[in-house]
Amino acid sequence: MSSVATVESPAMQGDFAVQTSGLTRTFGNFRAVDGIDLAVPSGSFYGFLGPNGAGKSTTIKCLTGLLRPTAGTMRILGVDPAVDSVAVKRRIGVVPEDLALFDRLTAEETLNFVAQVHGIDPATAKQRSADLLDLMDLKSAGTTLVTDFSHGMRKKLSLAAALLPAPKLLFLDEPFEGIDAVASRQIKDLLLSFVARGGTIFLTSHILEIVERLSTHIGVIAHGKLVAQGRIDHLRSGADSGKTLEELFIDLVGGEAKSHALDWI
Amino acid sequence: MLRTLRAFAWLRWRMLINSLEKTGARDTFERFSIAIEKLGPIMAAVLMVPSALILAAAATASGLALARGDQHSLFFEAARYLLFIVPIVSIFGPLLLPAADRTNPVRMLLLPIPRSTLYVAQSSSAFGDIWVLLMLPIVLFVPVGLLVGASFVAAFLSFAAGVLLVLVIVGLTALATSVLHLLVRDRRRGELLALLFIVIIPAASMLPGLLNGLRHAPGAEQRSSAISNVPEWVKDTGVRALAMYPPEVYARSTRSAASGDLMTAGAGLVALLAAALIVHGMGMAAFAKVLASPGSTGARRAVPTRAAWGRTLPGLSSGASAVALAQLRLALRTPRGRSIVLSPVVVTGIFAFVARNQLANFDSGPFSFSTGLSIAGFASFVGLLAVLPVAMNQFAIDNAGLTLALLSPLSDREYLAGKAVGNGLIAALPISLSLVVALLLLPSGSPALWLAIPLALLSTYFLVAPAAAILSALFPRVVDLNSIGRGSNAHGLAALLGMISFVVSALPAVLITFASSAWLHNTSLVPVLLLLWCIVSYGIGRVLFIPARRIFARRRENLAMLL
Repeated sequence: MSSVATVESPAMQGDFAVQTSGLTRTFGNFRAVDGIDLAVPSGSFYGFLGPNGAGKSTTIKCLTGLLRPTAGTMRILGVDPAVDSVAVKRRIGVVPEDLALFDRLTAEETLNFVAQVHGIDPATAKQRSADLLDLMDLKSAGTTLVTDFSHGMRKKLSLAAALLPAPKLLFLDEPFEGIDAVASRQIKDLLLSFVARGGTIFLTSHILEIVERLSTHIGVIAHGKLVAQGRIDHLRSGADSGKTLEELFIDLVGGEAKSHALDWI
Repeated sequence: MLRTLRAFAWLRWRMLINSLEKTGARDTFERFSIAIEKLGPIMAAVLMVPSALILAAAATASGLALARGDQHSLFFEAARYLLFIVPIVSIFGPLLLPAADRTNPVRMLLLPIPRSTLYVAQSSSAFGDIWVLLMLPIVLFVPVGLLVGASFVAAFLSFAAGVLLVLVIVGLTALATSVLHLLVRDRRRGELLALLFIVIIPAASMLPGLLNGLRHAPGAEQRSSAISNVPEWVKDTGVRALAMYPPEVYARSTRSAASGDLMTAGAGLVALLAAALIVHGMGMAAFAKVLASPGSTGARRAVPTRAAWGRTLPGLSSGASAVALAQLRLALRTPRGRSIVLSPVVVTGIFAFVARNQLANFDSGPFSFSTGLSIAGFASFVGLLAVLPVAMNQFAIDNAGLTLALLSPLSDREYLAGKAVGNGLIAALPISLSLVVALLLLPSGSPALWLAIPLALLSTYFLVAPAAAILSALFPRVVDLNSIGRGSNAHGLAALLGMISFVVSALPAVLITFASSAWLHNTSLVPVLLLLWCIVSYGIGRVLFIPARRIFARRRENLAMLL
């Protein structure tokens, strides 16, 4: 892992919300995640970037317990999920790729389900549900079945479900995809206040402007390998100073413009 | 247009081949599971070949018989009856197919294809329907038989009539598909339609028994004479309407052509042509409506159920209770789930009617058909059996909700317990309803045997529940519980093994009941013995849940990656 451009910072020397060592996941002969060493400081907003098919979602699935790593170790909030996955799941919230919602429950019932599996008392659950539905502008749709929701509404409900148990760590896989500008602004404010109160966010997004604006740290994955990790301002310092995150990202993942190949357009 | 149709044909072919080749399996077990799933359609396709050959031979024989002057040969009559049912199947068939099996026409609007070509492409997909594939050998080989018999003009006219009949059937299928699209576009209307269909099918299957029962019931003679008093004009209208039925027009046209009555044969052809034009005209209008109407008009639900549902089920942890109630809600809110709850009640009602009228004098020992006991026993059997399609695929039916459950802080024990209780609650709804109705309407019979029924059910379910969890983990299948056909069934192997496990689990309770009531002649012993068996089976069930949890833990990843 010597090739990884890791920039140490004082925060990274402290405790980590997510720490992996040689995390690997293979599917047959294909190495989707290839020995990555993540270090997500507690209280950070960590943007996890990578081109399509780089291994972002597989990494999140490994970290949240949906997939078993083929090799390597993980510690989530100081706990090894392989030893006590339930303890880890009690303290994390996840907005996964497929949004993970029962399509035949209403929005309120979905939040009620999450509250019950987290053992939250009904009064607190009711209060939190009302707050979250209000914030996500879903109050009027509280008794609508998820199957009748638009993609954006589903995304907001999934985020509400992830926030309801007041987790210490949030895994968000493309949370802003399909969300309107107003809701997007509200959610960004919410996430920033979550981090300000000591929470940690592990976010993947293709919208680099959002990552640049929100993240304190980034990790870049390409072809299953972690190619850079550290504080966003530190990664941009030195020779790369003045570069936008987009330019830095393209440098790191080795992308190049191919528009010349389509002269006929 | 031909280029577009060729592209559509290629698209369907590629989709078929890709579905067979690219399994996406993650391990050997999953490959095996997928292979078993593919086996059914492949077997059906293989069986199609001999069926088509037999039909072709029979059609040739019937054509030959017609050419030789035998107007009512057995082969032709058989072919006529087969063709008779084709229009009916072509109307109801699209309802049974999963929505994914037919291309969404609205999506095709994005392509630079004229609407008329789209209609032709959609209509021609009917040639892949099994009923059309089976009628083709008939209408193609009757003319061959006529040719062999040297009736050349009759062969030509029969061929033309056959082609026109096929056009009518294809048009009917296209019309039914478009109307179905329009109906199910509104989710709730579509669900209602599906539910009606699911409940009507078992009821219709019981109809012969019901009618037979009516013939034996008191007052049957009066009803029979009432039927014979139907006015002549009604009977005449019925006969005329039947004569206009396209397969009958085809049969009449072919017969007339073979007997040399070319005028009647020609009139038949004109009638079939008119029918084809009318059906395709209506089909095109319905198709245009599909293309012009909005994507979804699902209505909002406003049922304040929170207070009732927020409770934790007694004896379960908060998490397990949430899983159980989510499973129950799923059953109550999907057409397939509702059918599980409703169809046992319908079937039991019909059985009760038949049993009262036909089987009252049948000696069945303590479970006399004149008492509610037999009905209650039957209801219990049907109710528990009806839940198998959901119980044997209990994880995958959640679709994306499964990921939410797997991400939740639930232990495997809690999750499986919640699922088992949820499935039990789904079965309990129709069973309790049928038991209460049977007890209220026909309360006679030994109280000990009445008590034995729920005990027998419980002991059976204690053993079926872990088997269902194991089979659901081993053979998950992504389903759409809005579908009423194959699309909502559990994996074939899970369904088969589930049925076997059900029979094996019910056997001890049945044996205990009959051993003590029929052989020992001591009915009061039945609930006592069954209570003991209940305790034992609960213990066995608990033990069986240990391997069930292990298998579930090993298959967690496969389940998580199912979608």
